This record gives sequence, structure tokens and C-alpha cells, in this order.
Amino acid sequence: MDQENQNLSQKELYDLKHQEKERQTKANHRKSSTKRILIWLVALLTLGGAIFGMVKLAGNAPSNSTGPVDAVSATDWARGNKDSKAILIEYSDFQCPACGFYFPIVKKLTEDYQDKLVFVSRNFPLQQHANARPAAYAAEAAGKQGKYWEMHDLVFNNQSQWSGAPNAKEIFTDYAKSLNLNLEQFTNEAGSNAIKDRVDNDYQSGIRAGVNSTPTFFLNGKQIKPTNYDEFRNLIEQAIKANP
Amino acid sequence: MTNLETLSNKQSKPIPNWLTALFLAISLIGFLNATYLTAKYFLKTPINCYLSGGCEKVTTSQYATVYGIPIALLGAIYYLLLFVLVFIYYDTNNQRVLKFAAWLTFIGLFVSLVLLYLQFFVIKAICTYCVASAIDSILLFIIGLIILNCTLEKTSN
Repeated sequence: MDQENQNLSQKELYDLKHQEKERQTKANHRKSSTKRILIWLVALLTLGGAIFGMVKLAGNAPSNSTGPVDAVSATDWARGNKDSKAILIEYSDFQCPACGFYFPIVKKLTEDYQDKLVFVSRNFPLQQHANARPAAYAAEAAGKQGKYWEMHDLVFNNQSQWSGAPNAKEIFTDYAKSLNLNLEQFTNEAGSNAIKDRVDNDYQSGIRAGVNSTPTFFLNGKQIKPTNYDEFRNLIEQAIKANP
Repeated sequence: MTNLETLSNKQSKPIPNWLTALFLAISLIGFLNATYLTAKYFLKTPINCYLSGGCEKVTTSQYATVYGIPIALLGAIYYLLLFVLVFIYYDTNNQRVLKFAAWLTFIGLFVSLVLLYLQFFVIKAICTYCVASAIDSILLFIIGLIILNCTLEKTSN
């Protein structure tokens, strides 16, 4: 009887030990798979957070640069009704003859559609035009004194006068004088890095929009290639009708 | 004496945890940086360019893409790969994975040096984020060398 009891308890003991061992290996297994899940969870969360954060951060444009081609940014030079639904943006080079050709057409458009259109001029000075950048700097510097469009028009109206001139800068200073600008301020600002950065920003925004020649026109974000006033007018009429 | 020295030199060195953690952290920084530039590329928003001011010029240059794929995206994939490899190592404890990651840093270093050369001598504009990425690659390369050093000793044992 006694022995039987002992035998039984020994067997029980063995079973118990066995069970304990099994439970332990199971627990170990669970522990390692929990650890694995944790490791990859951390990896996934880190990467997800990283991508989300960076895309969000990248979505914020710096305030001092020009925006995309379908909207007027706060720093743009805009003519017409800023709240209008038709936005015409021109990437232009003051020295490019084609820009000079389009200038009176665009000017007439901005006058005829004063209430229904906003026109934005952005700088896209091409490298082969030595005086394009000084012209852009002059217009921007005049803008600092509130006379961007006056200088813009003056420079375009007299394009042939300064295009090939070696003393273009002096000619622009004369224009500034005729616009009654503060000449010292004008000269300082035309040569400043701030103005240069503005022009560069315009240029880079053009590159991003796929501009490779001047003038390039965008009407509500879409590139258009009208060749005369009537074609321009039709496109603008369509844009106004499409966005009442 | 010399025999003893060579013997002790040949003894296996475990890869310290701080080293893999550093490798992981630096590859994550590289990933953040490259992802930011990639997002900028696709969102077409201008870059907040600190210190240098040449970011736009570099990232819009003809060297910013290969066959239409932005280099920033390739960089992001590279850093992501390193990051994931370290995690596979953490998971499996397989040193081969880490060794592979360490060898990859040679490619990263080479590409970064080429891109630095292009910025300094061809485009002549410096993009802060690109330089940061180059420094990142150089650091990863150095850590990669240390890791390789550890694993090489181990395999020769």
C-alpha cells in the first residue's frame, strides 16, 4: 500500500515536472514571439511616423517664396481683381523679344478684364539675356517703393532701348528717376541679395512648373499658348465661365 | 608571446548593442532627410533652405534625377533598407544581415561622394539637406567598418 502510494506520487511528480517544463517552453515561445512582434511594431511605427511627419513638413511652403502656378501667392506682383476666379500667370524675361511682343496684349487684357481677371508676373530671366536680370532687379526694386508695375511697363515699352546696351543699369536708374523713386534706395535694393533671392525664387518656381522658355502663360494652373489677343480672350472667357 | 597576441586578436568580438543602435539612429536620420526631399520633389513645394540657399538649384538641376527617378527617393530607399536590416538583425540575431548592411554603406559612401562633387564643382550650389545626407552616409560607412571588423574576427575564429 505504502509503496503503491509512493509509486503513484513519483509518477505524479514526473507528470507534474513534465507539465511544468512544457508550460515553460510554451511561455518562452510566447515571450519570444511577443518580443518579435514588439520589435517590428516599433520599426513600423517609427517608419510610419517618419514618413507622415516628413510629408506634412514638406507640405509647408516657406512664406517668402512664390507659390504654384494655379494660385496667387502673397509675394506675387498681381494686377486686376485678386479675388477673381481667372488667374493668369506669366513667367517672363524682360529682355526676351517674344515677351515684349506679348506685353501690350496682356496689358490690354488686364485692362479689359480688370474685374474678372488677375494677372501675375513672375521672373524667369534666361541666361542668354545679359540684361534680363538687371531689368528684373530694377522692377523688383521699384516694387519696394510701390511702383513695380510702373517700372514693369516702362522697361517693356522701351525694351529695344536697353536690350543691347552695355549701360542698361544706368538706363534703369534713369527710369527710376522718371518715376520719382528714391534713387539711393533704388540702387541699393536693386543690388541686394533679398531682391536677387526673390528673382531666384520666381525662377525656381518656374522650373518646378516645367517652364523652359519665355513667355510661358498659365491660366488657372494650365499652360496656354495663345498667339494673339483674340485667342487669349477666348481662353479667359472659357475660364471665367468654367468658374462662375 | 606573439602567438598569444595573434590568438587574442583573433578572438571573437561581439557587436556592441550601442553600435547597432547608433547605426539604426543614423540610418533613421538619413531616412527622415531623404523622405523630406522626396516629398518636396513630388509636392513641388519650395525647400526651406537653411545655411546654404542652394537647395532649389541643386534639387531642380539635371543631376537630381536618374531616368526620371529623383535621387532623394533612391536615398530614402537606401536608408530604409539599412534601417530594416538592423531590425531583421535585432529579430533574428543573424550577424550576416548586419554584415550585408555594413557592405551596403560602401555604395552609399561612393554615391554621396559623387553627389558632393557635383554640388561643389559642377552645379556650384550647396544644398544643406544633401550635404547632411553625405555626412550621414560617411558616418554609416565608418560604423559599417567597425561592424565588419567585429564580424570578420568572428568568422575567422
